[in-house]
Amino acid sequence: MIAAWILVAVAFFALGILVYVAIRSRTRRVDLEKAVQAFRSLDIEAFRNLIDSAEEAFLRNNLSPKKFREIKRQRAWAALIYAWEAGRAVAALARIGQAAQRSSDPKIAASGAQLSENAFRLRLQTIGACLHLLTEILLPDLQSRSLPPLVDQYERAAETLFRLGRFSSGVHGLVRSKSA
Amino acid sequence: MLPMSWHKALLLFLWISPHLLLGVLAVVLYKRRLYRQFPVFFAYVLYEIAEFVSMFTLYSVRGVTSRPYAYAYCATLMISIALRFGVIDEVSRDLLREAQFLKVAARRSLQCVTGLLLVVGVLLAVYAPGDRRFGFVAGMLVVNRGAAMVQSGLLLALLLFSRFLGLSWRGPAFGIALGLGVLTSVDLAMFALRAEFASAVAAVYLNLLTTGTYLVCVLIWIGYLLAPEVDPASLTVVPRDEVETWNTELQQFLKQ
Repeated sequence: MIAAWILVAVAFFALGILVYVAIRSRTRRVDLEKAVQAFRSLDIEAFRNLIDSAEEAFLRNNLSPKKFREIKRQRAWAALIYAWEAGRAVAALARIGQAAQRSSDPKIAASGAQLSENAFRLRLQTIGACLHLLTEILLPDLQSRSLPPLVDQYERAAETLFRLGRFSSGVHGLVRSKSA
Repeated sequence: MLPMSWHKALLLFLWISPHLLLGVLAVVLYKRRLYRQFPVFFAYVLYEIAEFVSMFTLYSVRGVTSRPYAYAYCATLMISIALRFGVIDEVSRDLLREAQFLKVAARRSLQCVTGLLLVVGVLLAVYAPGDRRFGFVAGMLVVNRGAAMVQSGLLLALLLFSRFLGLSWRGPAFGIALGLGVLTSVDLAMFALRAEFASAVAAVYLNLLTTGTYLVCVLIWIGYLLAPEVDPASLTVVPRDEVETWNTELQQFLKQ
């Protein structure tokens, strides 16, 4: 009996998410200017410092274990927010790349394909980084492994973005009427 | 309970109207040549129409008792469920069409999700087998409940996956996935309840809800497939100096 009601709750939860996604997809716009701004606003140097293993070793050697755990959790949390925001910016770029892939101009389509591929690659890395940082928050005593080469990938996606240019459709945003 | 005549009229309306609309949907799919992109979905629509015709004929023929009707219903439902899995596979392929890099990883993730959902479905069938007094019918309801759970979970995973990674859906594929997602989610709730409450009164109301949902689902499909395809916004390359400025700025920023 309980199983039946749990399944009903799960079904309605799934239905709620479906309706939410459907409504959001109708109103959401892919805005290149906004995506570029989000991309630019990330302080990569600060992110590098937060995940720097040399700096972590210095803190480990100079702080008490309790203080080190506290500081490491705070650093990992801040880095997690960076990685999460980078992931969001990259997801927006992936959508732009896919829209560009449908362009009738073969050059733009090729650039779009490259941009979306870089963006997907980077997105997967940000997901990996988030999981890694979550582990650090939960288990701060674990010796850190180096994070995936996020910054290099970020740079490559940026280069493609600037080769691609921007959308011009009267307004700066692209209404997502064709893709949901 | 509703008066019998009203109930019967409502049930017939909710049974017949979605299948008439499925005919419209088949024409839309054919006219817009979408059957080339979604052949399994087209086959599913045609199958649902043929199934309705045969079941309605069986229902109308005097002398056919509820038992052969129930067997025929279960057999046709099994084929319908199999086709729905095909449709899910088709929309997932369409979603990943432009994401060559993600194809392998995404398909592996979906296989993992399917495996996980199947395990949950089997465990549920073992530990919550429904009302055993109803034998065959209860067993079928449990199987359908498991299938609805796997399908609903897969479609949800697909939608969340696309949102998380920034994958863009094309209108028709999104409409098909959304309609099927609504249908399987409501099916999950209905089959879960029917497996536990197999009384005739409960079945009457749950049938109305199921057929009503099917009507909504067909309307979603028609809506998304009829929605005009707007050309993607034209892209132009920004003036070269602006590109260089952006590029230099970002390069400096990254090399700080």
